[in-house]
Amino acid sequence: MRITYNWLKQYMDLSDVSPEMLAEKLTRGGLEVEGMEKMAQGTNLIIGHVLSCVPHPNSDHLHVCQVNTGEGVRQIVCGAPNVAAGQKVIVALPGCVLPGGEIKSGVVRGELSDGMICALFELGVDRKQLTEQQLAGIEVLPDDAPVGNRNVLEYLGLDDIIYDVSLTPNRADCLSVWALAKEVGAMLNKPVTLPDYHYECKEIPTDLIIRSETEKCPLFWGKVINKVVIKPSPKWLVQALHGAGIKAINNVVDISNYVMLETGQPLHFYDLAKIPGKEITVKQGLRETYTALDGIEYPIYEDDIMITNQGKAIGIAGIMGGDDSKIDEETHGIIIEAAHFNNVCIRNTSRRLDLNTEAATRFTKGLDPLGGRKAVERSVQLLLQLADADGIEETVLCGSEGYEPLALDASVSRINKLLGTQFGYEAVKSAFERLDFQPEKVDEDTIRCHIPSYRRDITCWQDLSEETVRLLGYENIRSTLPLMPTVQGGLPPYKRKKRVLQQMLNGFGLSEIISYSLVSRQKIDEGLLPIGEPVRIANAISEERRFFRSSLSSSMLETVSYNLARSNKEYGLFEISNVYEDGGREESHLCIAMSENTGISKWQKESRSNDFYTMKGLIYELLDRLGYDEKRLSVKPLSSSNEVLNPYKSAELYLGNKKIGVFGVVHPLCKKKYDLDDCVIGEISLTAIYEEKAGKIRFTPVNRYPAVTYDLAFICDESVSGQQIVQTVKKAAGRLLKDVEIFDIYRGSNIPEGKKSVAINIVYQSAEKTLAESDINPVHSEVIRQLTGKLHVNMRDS
Amino acid sequence: MEHNWELLKKEYADRIRETASAADLEKLRVELLGKKGTISAMMQEMKSILPEKRKEFGMAVNSLKQNVEALISERAATVKNEEMLRKMEADKIDITLPYKKYHYGTLHPLTVVQQEIEDIFVAMGYSVVEGPEVEYDLYNFEKANIPADHPSRDMQDTFYVDVERLLRTQTTAIQMRVLENQGTHLPIKVICPGKVFRRDDDDATHSHQFIQIEGLVVGEGITLGDLKGTLELLARSMFGAEREIRLRQSYFPFTEPSQEIDVSCHVCGGKGCPVCKGTGWIEILGSGMVHPNVLRTAGIDPDKYSGFALGVGVERVAMLKYGIDDIRNFYNNNIRFLEGYKRFE
Repeated sequence: MRITYNWLKQYMDLSDVSPEMLAEKLTRGGLEVEGMEKMAQGTNLIIGHVLSCVPHPNSDHLHVCQVNTGEGVRQIVCGAPNVAAGQKVIVALPGCVLPGGEIKSGVVRGELSDGMICALFELGVDRKQLTEQQLAGIEVLPDDAPVGNRNVLEYLGLDDIIYDVSLTPNRADCLSVWALAKEVGAMLNKPVTLPDYHYECKEIPTDLIIRSETEKCPLFWGKVINKVVIKPSPKWLVQALHGAGIKAINNVVDISNYVMLETGQPLHFYDLAKIPGKEITVKQGLRETYTALDGIEYPIYEDDIMITNQGKAIGIAGIMGGDDSKIDEETHGIIIEAAHFNNVCIRNTSRRLDLNTEAATRFTKGLDPLGGRKAVERSVQLLLQLADADGIEETVLCGSEGYEPLALDASVSRINKLLGTQFGYEAVKSAFERLDFQPEKVDEDTIRCHIPSYRRDITCWQDLSEETVRLLGYENIRSTLPLMPTVQGGLPPYKRKKRVLQQMLNGFGLSEIISYSLVSRQKIDEGLLPIGEPVRIANAISEERRFFRSSLSSSMLETVSYNLARSNKEYGLFEISNVYEDGGREESHLCIAMSENTGISKWQKESRSNDFYTMKGLIYELLDRLGYDEKRLSVKPLSSSNEVLNPYKSAELYLGNKKIGVFGVVHPLCKKKYDLDDCVIGEISLTAIYEEKAGKIRFTPVNRYPAVTYDLAFICDESVSGQQIVQTVKKAAGRLLKDVEIFDIYRGSNIPEGKKSVAINIVYQSAEKTLAESDINPVHSEVIRQLTGKLHVNMRDS
Repeated sequence: MEHNWELLKKEYADRIRETASAADLEKLRVELLGKKGTISAMMQEMKSILPEKRKEFGMAVNSLKQNVEALISERAATVKNEEMLRKMEADKIDITLPYKKYHYGTLHPLTVVQQEIEDIFVAMGYSVVEGPEVEYDLYNFEKANIPADHPSRDMQDTFYVDVERLLRTQTTAIQMRVLENQGTHLPIKVICPGKVFRRDDDDATHSHQFIQIEGLVVGEGITLGDLKGTLELLARSMFGAEREIRLRQSYFPFTEPSQEIDVSCHVCGGKGCPVCKGTGWIEILGSGMVHPNVLRTAGIDPDKYSGFALGVGVERVAMLKYGIDDIRNFYNNNIRFLEGYKRFE
């Protein structure tokens, strides 16, 4: 909502309130001033008279003018095509500061130029408010403009300040300047005098027919004015509209806009001659293409509320009138419309057609139920004044205002109890008085408020408490902390675990990322651990953000690719975020990615290569910390192939029989597609893990007896897996086995094709005694026997 | 044979002291104490000494021998130590050469801020509660006193999944779930952090995805003063002990009265600077007393109980705290950006 300082000044005494103070007061009271700008600016301006104007000898478009400023005659070079001798013009004297810079005397192509003749936009006037003629050249003032007058902005009516007030949805009433003025008066504690809009005039009977065939138009005021004279609006009206950001057109159209601004009630004026039969019907259910008064064709659907005449559409209700019946130079009589339309319908239509008119905004946000009558009366009054209105027929009302006055009782003690304040009865009452709530004393604690029709936001005593505190001042509230029984707070277990994970991952050198949850179909399809059909956004901004992700890995690869493209070649990243599936399941996933190498120091050429086993070790350690022993974990080859992971260097991770994750080295195709290095990536479902019981810490005495270590080396088929070897050793060794680990795999010379050499380390230990050879030998022999027997390995001589 | 014992003692002591290496010392030891050494030879002399002088002579030789032995072992320790020191010196390193990298990962700056806020409230006894990001209209709007035709639905452009489901536009949805679950088991004292989504085009100050944290307290006798005090505490914890706050009337459908909260600028201290656009104040929070309709919906008697709610945007706080000028930085995840926030503050 745009409002000017001068407009508000008409209604109250602002002599002791500077424009800046006013802005501050409005903002603190809930009418946030988002912008404040001068309507026009310029120092050192003067009104001049162009005595002569001749073409510049060295230019085909410049003119050399002699201009009398009342203080002498100056030569000014002017480039405007419309400059001519005899004009009264705005002269910027040397030293004048305009929005575009300072004006200085100078020589323009050999001719002295001692100032500038100005166009309005050069003074910073909003270009949207200017005609094409004004935009194309200098401003030509009326012949009676006082030459030598230095108060040029005041003369132009442009010495004003425009406030851009951001209104919260509950204060749509302030889309009316009158309501806004009352609000400002209440905030400043100043009396407000609004214009008296009653008029004296004999009205004649009417045969206007107004019908509403839809409940979406519960109220329609109509009135015929048989005679109006179309002419330009007076300067004050043009300036007022200008301040509000509305372009002046002619007196009648300008009145409809001005009254809408004043009362908040949108109006539409129809050309009487274009409404045959003086009949207007509001209806829904049309489906057609309609040309509005902006000349553009709009598709109309059944839900749109339309104004019709004899079955023919003449306006999109509440949004824009029609081209056929608009007011123009030929108009001699009008029909006034002041109606109420359903806000949701108007919002839907205005959004669909992308027509955000001033009227639509007001309908959408809700109107003063009594505003229609007010607006009609005010219009007639102004039409009488400014458009020589005559032949004024009686007003027709279709529907009813359906307005019940609201009286609310406010208990001062309850208000104080809610606010934590000690406002006195009289203070609270005075606040209500300032707001024009006509407070009445009910008893020592209770005040009855009569809520004005336009304050539809006030519905309960809590609303009155807000009115109280915003007028009496928030600084009266003493800061306290809630006094209540102590309750145990804290993080839920899964959030505590998340923090532990974050810490551990940080410890491993990995940094956290947070990426967008909305992704494309392609990214969904590339997800490594999707939990089901993804959630599809019906009204997505773009296909890039069409789905809520069901797996994190695609976003991670995108992030990796983004960083590699910026030469961040070494990285270790993780993200913990929620993923969703359409059936309603939500899971928390962890995704990790590491570059193929992590440098430790350049000058010693030390680095760590990150491969499948790095990722495996990292995930196993994380899970161990969370209470899931590696004994419960196993890996299997990918159950289905994809183009993200190299199937020969990747695995699915199982906790017991449940798949909880997948990890591995990226597929060469994926590497190429996203311009990646040979990175490793993994994703696990924390939710799936937490659903399983975690192991607890149990006390086990530190073993006092020495461990005995054996190394074994053997040759076996390539097809024998590490897991098979370890399982075989475990089974054969039984209770005495403390640990078994593969520490080397060798292929190459001396090893036949299709075979590999494996070295393992076996540790035996007992909790009861020091093991003797006689204890170990039978066990170790059994290990060798089973490896040989079951896995067909050939022991190498040690 | 006559010996000047004192002179010998001194001579040997000098010679022992002058040895520079373990090898020299060993050579000297053999010369003096070895089987064919000087002192052993003196022992041999005993036989040719007059019996009455033998005792005296024996004692003198023994004393000399013990003295030499003690000095040699002492010298041996010293020499060994000196040799070690020489060897160490030869192994001297250039301490100005580069170090080996220890890389501790970083938390995302939004996580840092979120945890900080969570911890402030947890310390005051608040529980942290989260909720689904794919949410029902019921919790995001209906229960929050925003029926279908409510104009404030325009305030937040929403991503819809279908008629009932949407991506939550505000963590208020979690509060509504807390109210539904906890209902009349008062008091309620929670904060609800989480991602929210708005159908905005991404630019320097708008993001279709961002993180909010909302707080909710419901109990008997909760006042706007309690809210003000809590907000003051939060502002001072986040932006410094000298911060002041001011309340500005505003509007949220689920609170009444409602206020925006401005915090005195942490950069200029309130004098006015580009960060606060010259006003001395920065808007960081929305808040208010829980609307009676919201309490009633949860089965709580608004005449008996009251509550407050507050909400803060994590990105906004992080941007102000660290002077970040473009919200998209948080979601691009450039490592060089992320690692700029690794210091403990």
